[in-house]
Amino acid sequence: MKMADGVTMLRRNRPGTKAADFCRWPDQPFEEMESTLVVQQYIQQQICHDPMNVTQILTPPESQDEGVWKYEHLRQFCLELNGLAVRLQAECHPEACTQMTATEQWIFLCAAHKTPKECPAIDYTRHTLDGAACLLNSNKYFPSRVSIKDSSVAKLGSVCRRVYRIFSHAYFHHRAIFDEFENTTYLCRRFTSFVIKVGCADFTLNSSCFRPDRAIHGGSEMIPVKDNEDESCFLVTKHSPWRGKYKRIFSIGTAGVTTYNPTNMEITNRWPYSDFMGALPGPNANHGQVSLA
Amino acid sequence: MKVPDYYYLPGMEDNSSQNHNGQLDPSGGGNVSNKQNDDGSQRTQYSIPGILHFIQHEWAKFELERSQWEVERAELQARIAFLQGERKGQENVKSDLVRRIKMLEYALKQERAKFHKLKYGTELQQGDMKPPVFDDVVTDAKLEADAPFTSVSNISWRQGRQLLRQYLQEIGYADTILDVRSNRVRSLLGLNNNAECEENLNNSSPAVNGNESSNKRASETQGRRTPAKKTQPSSITEAMILDTEAAVMANFEFLSPDVDMDDDDDMSDDLDDQQDDETDDVKTAKRKNKVRPSVLCCQFGVLTLRIDFQCLMMNEGLADDVDAEAEEVLNELNLLTESEDAQNELRAPGGSPSMGFATSSRRPMGALGDDEGLDSSLGLGELAQLTVNNEAEAAYDQIASSKEAYRKMWNAKYTLRSHFDGVRALAFHPTEPVLITASEDHTLKLWNLQKTVPAKKSASLDVEPLYTFRSHTGPVLCLTMSGTGEQCYSGGLDGLIQCWNLPSPNIDPYDSFDPSVLTGSLVGHTDAVWGLSIHNQRMQLLSCGADGLVCLWSPQNKVPLLSTFSSPDDGQPTSVDFVHNETNQMVTAYNSSHCVIYDLETGKPVTRLETSQAENISQDKQINRVVTHPTLPLTVTAHEDRHIRFFDNVSGKMVHSMVAHLDAVTSLAIDPNGLYLLSGSHDCSIRLWNLDNKTCVQEITAHRKKFDESIYDVAFHPSKPYIASAGADALAKVFV
Ligand SMILES: [Zn+2]
Ligand SMILES: [Zn+2]
Repeated sequence: MKMADGVTMLRRNRPGTKAADFCRWPDQPFEEMESTLVVQQYIQQQICHDPMNVTQILTPPESQDEGVWKYEHLRQFCLELNGLAVRLQAECHPEACTQMTATEQWIFLCAAHKTPKECPAIDYTRHTLDGAACLLNSNKYFPSRVSIKDSSVAKLGSVCRRVYRIFSHAYFHHRAIFDEFENTTYLCRRFTSFVIKVGCADFTLNSSCFRPDRAIHGGSEMIPVKDNEDESCFLVTKHSPWRGKYKRIFSIGTAGVTTYNPTNMEITNRWPYSDFMGALPGPNANHGQVSLA
Repeated sequence: MKVPDYYYLPGMEDNSSQNHNGQLDPSGGGNVSNKQNDDGSQRTQYSIPGILHFIQHEWAKFELERSQWEVERAELQARIAFLQGERKGQENVKSDLVRRIKMLEYALKQERAKFHKLKYGTELQQGDMKPPVFDDVVTDAKLEADAPFTSVSNISWRQGRQLLRQYLQEIGYADTILDVRSNRVRSLLGLNNNAECEENLNNSSPAVNGNESSNKRASETQGRRTPAKKTQPSSITEAMILDTEAAVMANFEFLSPDVDMDDDDDMSDDLDDQQDDETDDVKTAKRKNKVRPSVLCCQFGVLTLRIDFQCLMMNEGLADDVDAEAEEVLNELNLLTESEDAQNELRAPGGSPSMGFATSSRRPMGALGDDEGLDSSLGLGELAQLTVNNEAEAAYDQIASSKEAYRKMWNAKYTLRSHFDGVRALAFHPTEPVLITASEDHTLKLWNLQKTVPAKKSASLDVEPLYTFRSHTGPVLCLTMSGTGEQCYSGGLDGLIQCWNLPSPNIDPYDSFDPSVLTGSLVGHTDAVWGLSIHNQRMQLLSCGADGLVCLWSPQNKVPLLSTFSSPDDGQPTSVDFVHNETNQMVTAYNSSHCVIYDLETGKPVTRLETSQAENISQDKQINRVVTHPTLPLTVTAHEDRHIRFFDNVSGKMVHSMVAHLDAVTSLAIDPNGLYLLSGSHDCSIRLWNLDNKTCVQEITAHRKKFDESIYDVAFHPSKPYIASAGADALAKVFV
């Protein structure tokens, strides 16, 4: 490295730097970083170091504020997801993927609009990333990158949830792209671990989320399995005309839908798909309300 | 007899020591001392005198506190009185202004009627042709009573001032307080003489405490000073002018009491001269108007208003943040003149110091004198509107025309936040307030400065991006926009140059994906593309990459790559630009600090600029950016060693070299007229330079550091008064 010989080494990508040398400077210990963007610097440095070492990347430095740690990681996920979006633009045409789906059972509505819309998958992807960029850069919710209000940290959950659907769509509908992207970035694996490890509280408590423990085995959580294995689970609030609202884990399996009681994991109901007439997004579909008939 | 030596509290010696003497005898002790004895040795300090002392001590403490509270109460009462006085002052200012507006309206109507009569020979039928009636004044509402009317209103002003003065005296808002406040202002300003005062009319300086008070101070001072300055007027007109002059003087004196009155006189003369120079039509009109008192009344109204603007500006022009200030002024005016919309609008231009009051007041004056402007439907509201609409344009004219007097100070206005990583480059639309940013987060974003997010409090507005360009698979490093504003080109770490069609600046940010925005890629570089430059007449594009190549493209062609240049001895090219005053040349800068002008036809070097005189070629000296002057044979280079260097294109000689920043200079931009140079640096600041004398006109700290980088790019808007900076902190900022 050319610049390493100087008395003070400056970590810069000067004009003329070759792509291979971009950001290839010796690691700077976290304690020595001084700017207000230390956490981003640290995360990017770790990723640059070894994108495969997910554990290392997700381990916060000592006494790191948790909110900022989550926030900066989510920024980094959205940043890198641009790479997936670029690849999807080439293949995920609105004519083919008219709706944002992962496993055909759910249509995800795009929350970027005033009233959530059934955007085609590619628009969903772009709008979700654009919306996340606006939210995560919002001066209102995230005025500082050094400390973050608790109320704003809560916002991160919804971003996680939507971002995850982009991975899901790519996985189920554009597998080649997903694999190619995943093999260079390890992004989905990192994201899955992130959600489990950092435990976006929101992410597990809110409705219509991937249940994290199903997503543990790096990427494999989305592989369709035989018989009725639970494919994806959601903690939902059931609106029953008889019993009011109550929490259930809602699981979409390959052969049917199962609901569990979250307190004791007992199966409360199970319906084969043949029993359904359809699944319709409810009036508050952006909050994950779905009517099953 | 023993008096404990701790009884030194004032006023206690006499009776208290008396009491103690009696009780000092242990046997004579009452319950307390008995108890003490019972309790044993550890409590023996609880003697009667001790307790008494304690109580007395407490009492004294309470007394002290009580007196403190009393003082506090008195202070608060004074504060209340002060605030009430201020309120009264505000009300006076308000009614004064309302009165002036009414006068203006009335005079306008008169003029209109006269004009109509002259033109058509008939009386114009308009609403009420009565002169305005003021609450506190008994006005004879006769039409022919022009002169009496002016005198009456004049009297009413004086009455108002007198009242205010009386009130101030009543509440003890004495000269000392005023002096204290003016001292504070002066210390904030750090100025003591008139010249600087005048400069403050034109330039903005650090903020003084709230507008309200400064606004009020002006009027108060007027009230305070005027009677002293009054002389026997030979005519009412003169009296009025004198009065106004006195008010102006008073204001100047208020800012600089050390200076004697002669200076003040000169000062106000200068001021008047200046005004008159700027508004010739006003002056002629004014002379003419001595014959026509009704017009005079109106003219004078404008004049006083203008002077008031000046007073206001003098105080408010001190503000650090012009926009916030202007906004506050507007708000304040809203309060002041709740029902007086027209007045509010009329005064609005005066509230924005950078715009210059002269223009704003000239407009209505021009309209008054101008027959065409006197469309019969033209109300005062529209008149004022006219001013507001022309404001920005006029201000820019002034920058161009009189840069001495109106040296523009740039202030951060818009913050573009939506990128996830450093913003590497930005480019303005040639005509619209639209720009594109290119970021290390792999995207480019389109912004329309007219579509801002309503922000609370903050002086700078947030803009939300309209469109996100996605195609690069790595950081986007450079960007350039075509002269038509229809295409833009971006170069990335992925070695590609992407060609984009600009979506409409009014696009819905969440519109559906339109693949036709990306029109194609220019493939030729095998490594990161670091520099782009476009030539609008030739429709050609230059790029330079880390593969050592400089490529000339014609993006519209079937085979876009026209030619490539490489010069391995010079190192990696870092930046490239067309030579604008020559038809067929380009300049390329290298990380070896070399800088070479090539002929585009032959591909041969024309001039090697003498950049490496110190012969210390290291990375420290690398050139980060090279730009050429739009009209002169001048090349400017930004160096890693903190220097900006200027070269003559013909001789290759260095014309000037200067340490321009505290850290590496990363970016340069020359304004479209070739007068100013803008530079950005990793020292977090951007600097504006006068190209004539190479002096720094303004420095703005704009961005924060990420690792050892801060600012990547700066730009001038090609036709509008905007400048912008892009930083490693993922933000771009636009200054106005
Ligand atoms: Zn798709
Ligand atoms: Zn959408």
